[in-house]
Formats: sequence, structure tokens, C-alpha cells
Amino acid sequence: MKFLCVPCDSPMKLQSVGPPDRGSLSVVYSCPECGYEMAMLTNAYETQIVQSLGVRIGPETSGDATRTGCPFSGMIPATEGSRTSEPFPVRWTPAAEARLANIPEFVRPMARTGIERFARERGTLEIDEKILDAAREFFGM
Amino acid sequence: MKSYHDIVGDGGSRVLEQVAGQRARITDALAGVRHLVAVGSGKGGVGKSTLTLHLAGALRARGLRVAILDADFNGPSQARMAGVEGALFVPPPSRDKVALPRTSNGIAVFSMGSIVPESEALEFESAAQGEAHTWRATREFALLGEILASFEWGALDFLLFDLPPGAERTVQYADYLGPRTSFLLVTIPSEVARGVVARSVAALSKGPHRILGYVENMSGYYCRDCNAIKPLFVSSDQPPPGLRRSAEASAKALPVALGEIPCLGSVPFDPELARHCDHGIVPAQRSETPVGLALDQIALRLLERLP
Repeated sequence: MKFLCVPCDSPMKLQSVGPPDRGSLSVVYSCPECGYEMAMLTNAYETQIVQSLGVRIGPETSGDATRTGCPFSGMIPATEGSRTSEPFPVRWTPAAEARLANIPEFVRPMARTGIERFARERGTLEIDEKILDAAREFFGM
Repeated sequence: MKSYHDIVGDGGSRVLEQVAGQRARITDALAGVRHLVAVGSGKGGVGKSTLTLHLAGALRARGLRVAILDADFNGPSQARMAGVEGALFVPPPSRDKVALPRTSNGIAVFSMGSIVPESEALEFESAAQGEAHTWRATREFALLGEILASFEWGALDFLLFDLPPGAERTVQYADYLGPRTSFLLVTIPSEVARGVVARSVAALSKGPHRILGYVENMSGYYCRDCNAIKPLFVSSDQPPPGLRRSAEASAKALPVALGEIPCLGSVPFDPELARHCDHGIVPAQRSETPVGLALDQIALRLLERLP
């Protein structure tokens, strides 16, 4: 979808996207010539159909937008292990946590639970990069 | 006044650009795959998943590098059958692709069954409450794209797609996967199943995709006690047990569209193999049973049909 400022015959630019409100997005466009602003207010179905394409909705940002804001977050229900509160919770080091971000978001809850189980079975309550490397080796990856 | 096509870009939402970016990531991820083969039918319950797994095994036994993508996201069965139900996805050291779990004979498998337990249904977050029929298919294809782009397929001879049932789904997958993907269809010796599969053939024939042929699954059952194939489906066109149907009678029994593509083979139902599937036991090497030999012949014919 594109927007045209009719008086200026100039394409309008996306300025901002407001946070979702009951399925609706407020998408603000402005005319670079006259500064006129307008907001497109999507209904929930419109929001959902565009999000279903697996795209990020918002103004251009630096970096690869296709790899940010995974549209599948929350898709996979938390697995049993992550739902139960363990008496001794496993701690992830920042480096290990950063590595977890390298896998698709829809796999993360399951991966987190599995690696925590792998660590517990080896008697450790801290997940660092060594544990991740050990898991990769153990599973022949 | 300018029209849509006079304006370059879309003002900053980059929706089309992002979709094109996704397609480029998929192309890049599959660059090392020699053959993309979708195993479909149109009809449910004909054994697409079982045939996919065992065909993969037959190709693997010939020394080929094979992976399976279980594209039936709502009814995934490959994870259980391939023994990768509890597989672990371990974060790679950098922004590398994520390694896939493998069967005991080295077939890489992606199945939602490794991620979503059998007691749960696949759910998507939705801004629209209900009305899933308006967006669900789109989201599933975006998920397929994310899977293709994010996991490490690497250098493969075959990536087999285990498609969900439904003639319309088969065509949608053909459209999404593009002309690089060839199709292998599965039927059973029932007139109803053949009729549905013929519809898939007719629909696929309208596009640029190559149909490699079809396999008749559950073509009798293999009795290990008597070491013989016994009939499973008996139709009006089928001769009594022990007699072979003439080529003329076979051709007459097939719907037109199905008769226009080659039959790559028939696979008898093997209760023992079905038990193995339930328990995730993948044969380490080629089975010398009639079923194993039939699968090997189908693998051979498949290879002959591919460039």
C-alpha cells in the first residue's frame, strides 16, 4: 500500500507505528513536501493479514529487518519444563543467552528447556558457552 | 496525479522488500540442495509420511545425502517416526544456521513434532480474535519460509517435503516452493483415493512443476509368517488374489490424469514397519523384505526420472 499527497502529487513517507491497541496499529505517514500528516488505523484483520506474511511493520531501521521482531514469537506454547518452577533455577550467562538469540524465535522456548535439562543432567545449574558446545558435540551437530 | 506504479518504494513500510528478502534467504539456504522433491497426494491417510521416511531411507542406503521437511505443521508425524521427537536444537556459536536433528542412519529431519508436544496443537498469536480462516494459511507459509531460511540444509542430494493432505494444499505448496520442486504423488489401491490424487495431478499439471510419477502404497500387505503379499483393498477392477491384472485392465482402472504419469512402484503394507514407525525405529540398512525391495526400486526409478 502506498499513500499519495494529492495536492503535492508526492508519495508520503511512513513516520511511525504506534503500539498495538486491541489488534489495531496506528501508522503515521507524512508528506515530505507540505508536511501534512495522516494516520492509517488498521483493523485487527488487516493487522493480522500483514503480520501473517512474516514481516515487521514499522519505519525503516538499520540492519536486516527480516531478522528482527520475529512474527512467530509466542507461537509455540511453553513446554512442560519451562512451565514448572524448578527448586534450583538454571542461570544463563549473558554470552549463552546471546547465543540463544541465534536460533529462530519459535524454537527458543523448546531449545531453552532442552538445554536446561541437558545441564541439570550433568549436575550444573549454570549454562555458559561450554555447556552449549558440549550439547552440540553430544548431539552430533 | 501519480499512480501506484509511478511511485518507487512504499514509503517506508518495506513489506514487499521484506517478502523479497525472505525469498532470497530461502534461495540461499537451499543453494546446496540438488533435488527438491515434494511427496504429496491430495488424499489423507494414504501413507505419505511413512513413504517419505522410507523412501528417504532407501535413498540414504544408496549413499545419498537426504533431509526431510515435515510440512504438515498441524499434524506432524515425522518427529515420532524418525525418532527425533525429543531432539534438541542447540544455539550455534554465531549467526550460523541451526543444525537439524538426524535419524540414526543420518537423515536430517525438521518436524514441528520435535517442538510442539503431541498433547498440544500448533497455535499462532493473532491480532484478530478468531477468523483464522482469513490468515492462517498465509502464516503457515511464512513459517515454512522461516524454517527453510533458518536451518542448516547444507549440501544435500535430496530434500523431501512431506506435504499435508488436501489437493488445494498440494497446489499451494507447489506455488510456494516454485518450479525447482518436483512432485511425487502417493495413492492407495482404492478408486476413491485414486480419484482424489488424479485431481491433484490435474491441478499440478497446470503449473510449471514436474510430476515424477506416483506410488501405489498399501498395495496389499506383507505377511511375514507366509512371506507373501496378500490383498488389502479389493475393488471391482481387482483380480482375485494370485492373479495379475492385465496392463489394459490396470490402465482402465486409473482415472485419466493418473494414467498420464508413470507409476514408480507399489509398496505393500508391512505391519512390522508400521510398528517401527510408531516407535521411531529407523532401519539402519536396506531391508531385504518385499517392502524394502519395493522401496529400493522406487528410489532407483526416482533417480532415473531426475536430471
